[in-house]
Amino acid sequence: MIEYFPLSFYSLCLSSKMINFANGLLAEQIFQGIILASAVIGFAYGLIIEQFGWTVYIVLGGFAVSCLLTLPPWPMYRQNPLSWQPALPETTGETLQKPQENLKKKKHK
Amino acid sequence: MNTVLSRANSLFAFSLSVMAALTFGCFITTAFKDRRVPVDIHVSRVMLKNVDDFTGPRERSDLGFITFDLSADIKPIFDWNVKQLFLYLSAEYTTKSNALNQVVLWDKIVLRGESTKLNLRDMKSKYFFFDDGNGLRANKNITLTLSWNVVPNAGILPLVMGSGHMSVPFPESYETTKSY
Repeated sequence: MIEYFPLSFYSLCLSSKMINFANGLLAEQIFQGIILASAVIGFAYGLIIEQFGWTVYIVLGGFAVSCLLTLPPWPMYRQNPLSWQPALPETTGETLQKPQENLKKKKHK
Repeated sequence: MNTVLSRANSLFAFSLSVMAALTFGCFITTAFKDRRVPVDIHVSRVMLKNVDDFTGPRERSDLGFITFDLSADIKPIFDWNVKQLFLYLSAEYTTKSNALNQVVLWDKIVLRGESTKLNLRDMKSKYFFFDDGNGLRANKNITLTLSWNVVPNAGILPLVMGSGHMSVPFPESYETTKSY
């Protein structure tokens, strides 16, 4: 993956909009747990009061809660930042870009 | 899981899969339920006419007028997977030209939440009781049954016949009313 884009792209990964991989897993576990729990509660409640509409409402509520908890990049997801390699010097950057330009020229025949 | 969009995508897809599984669960809990209910039908008056039937291939066909009473309690059928019931009263009989005739005389839609005790007296049929020919006159046996179609939230739409029917013979001549 590191050859496909110019290296300046990866500095964007350290911006506030993204979280790293290990904590992305944490976010995924959180929302899966919340939605599964709301699904089980919703199914049981709907079965008891004999209305499927309530099951849907409870699952939608669980969806909203997990949206709130996992979508914005909260600080708890940035606990273990990856240590990126230091930027390589300019010359190797240019040689990486040149084969890409040659490929593009060949395709646009 | 690096961007908001990829998390949102994953979250939404997971919620949809969970919702699909819950809907299937809703279907499975009511799939094998017996939806028959005892029904009481009584016919009070029958009249027969021989009129022009413009929808058929012949000049005149038999037209029957039935006045009936209906009582049933359909509350046991409703559960969390039933949206509405489509009830219909049908007449079934045999004639010389056809082995089996079935005609729908009356129907009703009962939504979930409406009153479920049916107690109808002196109801006239909603639809014309035309015969395919002249087979209603002096017919020995015409059977009226109430059936319903269960419309679910999720799953199959079963067609169920109520347990209870009424068989009546029709009059021998036209324009005379027969009471029971």
